[in-house]
Amino acid sequence: MTNGAEGFDSVPSSSGSNGSGRYEIGLIYLGMMHLHFGHPKQALQVLTEAVRFSQQQSNESCLAYTLAAICNVLSEFGCSSSAGVLGTSFSPITSMDTSLSVGQQLFVLLRESLKRAESLKLKRLVASNHLALAKFDLLHAQRSLLSFGPKASMKLRTFPINVCKELRLCSNLISEFGYESSTMTTDGAFSTTWLNNLPKSMDSPLLPQENGHRNNCDAHRFFTQLSTVPKSVLQLLGSSYIMRSTAWEMYGSAPLARINSLVYTTCFADASSSSDAASVHAKLIQHLAVFRGYKEAFVALKVAEEKFLTVSKSVILLVKLQLLHERALHRGNLKLAQQVCDELGVLASSVSGVDKDLKTEASLRHARTLLAANQFSQAAAVAHSLFCMCYKFNMQVQNATVLLLLAEIHKKSGNAVLGLPYALASLSFCQSFNLDLLKASATLTLAELWLSLGSNHAKRALTLIHGALPMILGHGGLELQARAQITEAKCYLSDPSYSVFKDSEVVLDLLRQASDELQVLEYHELAAEAFYLMAHVFDKLGQLERREEAAASFKEHMMALENPQDEDDPLLNMF
Amino acid sequence: METDETDHVLPFQLQFDKPVASQVKIAEWNPEKDLLAMVTEDSKILLHRFNWQRLWTISPGRNITSLCWRPDGKAIAVGLEDGTISLHDVENGKLLRSLKSHTVAVVCLNWEEEGQLIRDDSKTSSSYEDRTSRFFPPAPRVPRMPGVVSGDTSFMEDSEDSYGELSNSSYQRFNILCSGDKDGSICFSIFGIFPIGKININRFSVPTPFMDKQTPRQISNSSIYKVSLSKDLCRLIVMCSGELNENTESRESQMVGQGMHSLVLDTSIFSKRKSELHQLAQQASNIEDLTEVIRASLSVMCKQWSDAMRTFLEKFDSLSTLIIDHALDSSPQEEFLSLLGGARTSSAVHQFLVNSLGEVGVKRVLKVICGTAKELQRIVLDHLQPAAEIIGFRMGELRGLSRWRARYHGIGLDEMLINNATEKCGMILVQIERFMRVLSTVEQQFSNFFNWLLKCIKLLMQEPSDQLLPYNSELVVIFLKFLYDQDPVKQLLEVDHDIEVDLETMQRVKELVQFGGFSDCEYLQRTLAKEFQQMEDSFKEAFLMPFTTVSRKMLYEDLLALFPLPSSSASVSMAIPMSISSYEDASNAVSSHQTCQHSFVDYVCFQVPDEPFSDIANCIGIMRGFAHDLSSSKNGCTSLEAVLLYVPAGYECVDLSLYKDSQIVLLLNGASASSESSGDACMMIVQASELPFISISRSTNLNSWNLSQLKGSAVQLQMENEKVRNIPHSVIAPLAVSASRGVACVFAARKRALVYILEEDEEVPDTE
Repeated sequence: MTNGAEGFDSVPSSSGSNGSGRYEIGLIYLGMMHLHFGHPKQALQVLTEAVRFSQQQSNESCLAYTLAAICNVLSEFGCSSSAGVLGTSFSPITSMDTSLSVGQQLFVLLRESLKRAESLKLKRLVASNHLALAKFDLLHAQRSLLSFGPKASMKLRTFPINVCKELRLCSNLISEFGYESSTMTTDGAFSTTWLNNLPKSMDSPLLPQENGHRNNCDAHRFFTQLSTVPKSVLQLLGSSYIMRSTAWEMYGSAPLARINSLVYTTCFADASSSSDAASVHAKLIQHLAVFRGYKEAFVALKVAEEKFLTVSKSVILLVKLQLLHERALHRGNLKLAQQVCDELGVLASSVSGVDKDLKTEASLRHARTLLAANQFSQAAAVAHSLFCMCYKFNMQVQNATVLLLLAEIHKKSGNAVLGLPYALASLSFCQSFNLDLLKASATLTLAELWLSLGSNHAKRALTLIHGALPMILGHGGLELQARAQITEAKCYLSDPSYSVFKDSEVVLDLLRQASDELQVLEYHELAAEAFYLMAHVFDKLGQLERREEAAASFKEHMMALENPQDEDDPLLNMF
Repeated sequence: METDETDHVLPFQLQFDKPVASQVKIAEWNPEKDLLAMVTEDSKILLHRFNWQRLWTISPGRNITSLCWRPDGKAIAVGLEDGTISLHDVENGKLLRSLKSHTVAVVCLNWEEEGQLIRDDSKTSSSYEDRTSRFFPPAPRVPRMPGVVSGDTSFMEDSEDSYGELSNSSYQRFNILCSGDKDGSICFSIFGIFPIGKININRFSVPTPFMDKQTPRQISNSSIYKVSLSKDLCRLIVMCSGELNENTESRESQMVGQGMHSLVLDTSIFSKRKSELHQLAQQASNIEDLTEVIRASLSVMCKQWSDAMRTFLEKFDSLSTLIIDHALDSSPQEEFLSLLGGARTSSAVHQFLVNSLGEVGVKRVLKVICGTAKELQRIVLDHLQPAAEIIGFRMGELRGLSRWRARYHGIGLDEMLINNATEKCGMILVQIERFMRVLSTVEQQFSNFFNWLLKCIKLLMQEPSDQLLPYNSELVVIFLKFLYDQDPVKQLLEVDHDIEVDLETMQRVKELVQFGGFSDCEYLQRTLAKEFQQMEDSFKEAFLMPFTTVSRKMLYEDLLALFPLPSSSASVSMAIPMSISSYEDASNAVSSHQTCQHSFVDYVCFQVPDEPFSDIANCIGIMRGFAHDLSSSKNGCTSLEAVLLYVPAGYECVDLSLYKDSQIVLLLNGASASSESSGDACMMIVQASELPFISISRSTNLNSWNLSQLKGSAVQLQMENEKVRNIPHSVIAPLAVSASRGVACVFAARKRALVYILEEDEEVPDTE
């Protein structure tokens, strides 16, 4: 997930250009450096000093930037002790009730920072604050302030509309940056562009005379190369697209997530920082893996690795590990999965501070590996401790995932009744955080749980699946789609009122689609199940030839599952 | 019915008798409220309250040929002579939507809502929510065209709230608007806004099952008189005139001549796939609205920008002439460059800057160009970009639906086409971002250039110039090189331009294909306007598929040749009073215990025109169970029945209308209407279900008119036995009866409107 911090890097220079306030700017940089290396406490200390000093010097714009930086620290590391660390001299913080949660403190600070930036007409800071607010709204549920009293719903909800509004406000920067006088480019800033163009335009005079074609050619260079929009502005705008993409991944709109990533890579590639560009490419690769299978994803990964060779490879490396893990799980190569999982764990506790998101992911994947190895109690233990950690750090979005995983564990261990409450809890988390895709997947798990309770629940399971299908088919990946189709087919088959002889095509079509998808994913276990069911149906219908065909495919997948060979795996040898 | 005492009490209470300004040709009561919509001979639409207070009047400017209410009573659909159907808001008469679905006059409309009796067996699929309102603020609207004074635009602006309300159909019950035209075409649209099917009854072949030769027949030269969808949306009754011919060319024999036919069409797709169609219509009609927003934004921007650039060109044109006048061999750009370089200031430039342009001139042009650029940016940020984003989201939702093949393939939602449309949505978003970038750059360049010019003028005039904004001389060079005589903004807004993209970008786009980017790498070479055009085409293609698929699924079921019409009237379609309605079948409710779906029986009543039936002149035909029978013929609970009713001598039927509980309200004119007195007429209610219906065989003999079978058993209408109210005027059509409110409005030939309360004893309808 991106942070909206892009704007900070280059921004304070604007106030620094007049020579004064170098100390404060130095403090801000120091604070951000601390943050970067994972020392939030020190970062806060330094920034508090910056606040004090800016106030003393009444350097308003520097104060605004410092505030924004503090927000950034708070959102990155929800330090519970922040209020204590921050100095007492700073009014917006001291006026805050200490009983407020970190989230609420952050919200108050963000608003305050935005207000200051607006009143100082620091357009880029305004945009960056809008971005930070969008991120806040994306992840934090807010109690509606208007509802009060016993009848008001006590429901915690996130408000996606606010995210959308904040992102749009951030985009307004493109029409406003001109008002910020400091963004006016200094003479000579374009010389590199000129130099780049030199070989191409050598043969033509600077001002070609009525030479239509040549002229045209030059004009078009204008479109892409001679954009005079400052890089810092472009980076902020680009960040808003990354944020959009992330938001849609969470809210569940696969086309929009992909399109926003593509807008970023097409329009902002020249101005973006390489780490942002790498993370967008990582998003695209993951999208490929989920929707088109690993083969294409690994090809893209190869390209990306070469492309971002010079950059800290962490994002690309992370994607690679994620893909390898997923694929190993699907192919049933648990040894490799565990190995990759361990590597992920190492990545999570690197020198650059503990990345909580990464840590969560590593243990999530660990639990899933254990689950795949049918070590249910260990898997459940890992998941439980993970849930405690997420709960402690208020990571509700991850909570939903962990709960769903627990439901899966119970489902697989044959304890459907125990799984139901977890699935329902996950469902309600998803609902309040508008995680529609995760909700669809939780609904699917719920349906599977009901179905495993017996055929008299088939109708209910089918209803659940049908409710989630538009979401799953539209925005879910191949695995989810295939799972839904197989479960739907199972519902039909176990429904006593359904007759194979009357309407076999319904089930066969579902199973055919599912097996196609699973073969792309090389998900042997589920593919085998699909073929097994198919063979059953053909058997009932008396189509022996096709039954044998399905049975052979079933056997093939079972064999592949039982002895995974990675020696002759072309995809692995790529690296 | 009532006791005999009602005989001497006047049955229908006259509410009032008011003059009307001009003769009314169509009148319909609102199904929910006491509102009467009327269309006058001069094609104005009037809306009156029950107390005759006028709410509004509008004149659409074209000849109105039909009118009906939306089932919830919040909108009026109006059919026009040129084939357009327009929807108007009941609150103020504002035009909400206009759809040109026909090519000739729309002569009848019927807007039917799915009845509650349809059991919601597929609760889950219909409860699928429209997520858009959860994730997006209200959709952007069409931007205002500046400079256009009030008139049309203000009209659009004001209707905004109801406009949005119209497309947000998630809370609505599923409903379908059918419209029939003079050439035999029938169009269907979901919620009155999303066209979902079109059929022409001339193309149906009518099988002749009981005849030895199997040549199907066709109706030709048909013209629709009335259409009516059944309450469960499964069947459509069509009353039409036309000739029934052999299909083959060999025998030109006409079985029966020009006449009135009644058809039943199977429209069960509407009820079977109702929630799917609901989803589709909701997403697609919203996408169409948003496409409209983009189109309008593009045209507004194009207009504004070319206006601004014209100002610029006009002002700076004089420099070229000055250069020629001063016999200089250079271009304006070169002159400016040398001014920038400080080499020399040619007299031409000096004269241009100081005399012809001047400080005021520069400031004016600056204001115009930069103001317009800001305006354009606002349009992009507030209208274009959000609209494109929401379109992308909605297309993504449709993509999910299209992949649910089991459900949505049947209504023609094609995965490939929707995928293609989604790709186009992505491309337009990239294009918009690029356009925005170019626009801001151009704005910045222009303002920098003008700031420089201002400085130059100050220097040339030897005035202090320290108050001015700073400029960047490098940007001035870029401006002179790339922008002085080019207009990239305009190029992007025009359709027929090729944008040459540099190699680096092309490479990047090609590389992105590996990362799942758009497979069409050439899209950046298109302009924004061109891209929009392509997007629109892809949408049209994607939505045409459901349209044709559903159209094909509406099938012919039955035909009944009713009575001949004089062939002379074939061209001039004469008004024949007729009414179609369906009632809960009380007699049958017990027997049809298996489903509650069959408890409705349809009634069709019509006046039989006098001329060809010399022996059965002046009578009314009533037929029931026409559409009904087909579905339940196995159970044999109802069959097609009909009866002929002679209008008492001395009277002729002016109009009729089915009222509630299978009653018919008849409006009769005294034959002596031509006399000096203001004429005399009467209105009466006939209980149709008590008439001696006779079962008639269907489809057996297409060579004769079915109604002639009934000649022998026709009954005389006994006026003394029915509720009759005399009207002291000579009356004319239309008769507007509201079954839900129990009122009737009658129009007298002498421009008067009379409202009667039909329900005198029970709940007297009070004005709401």
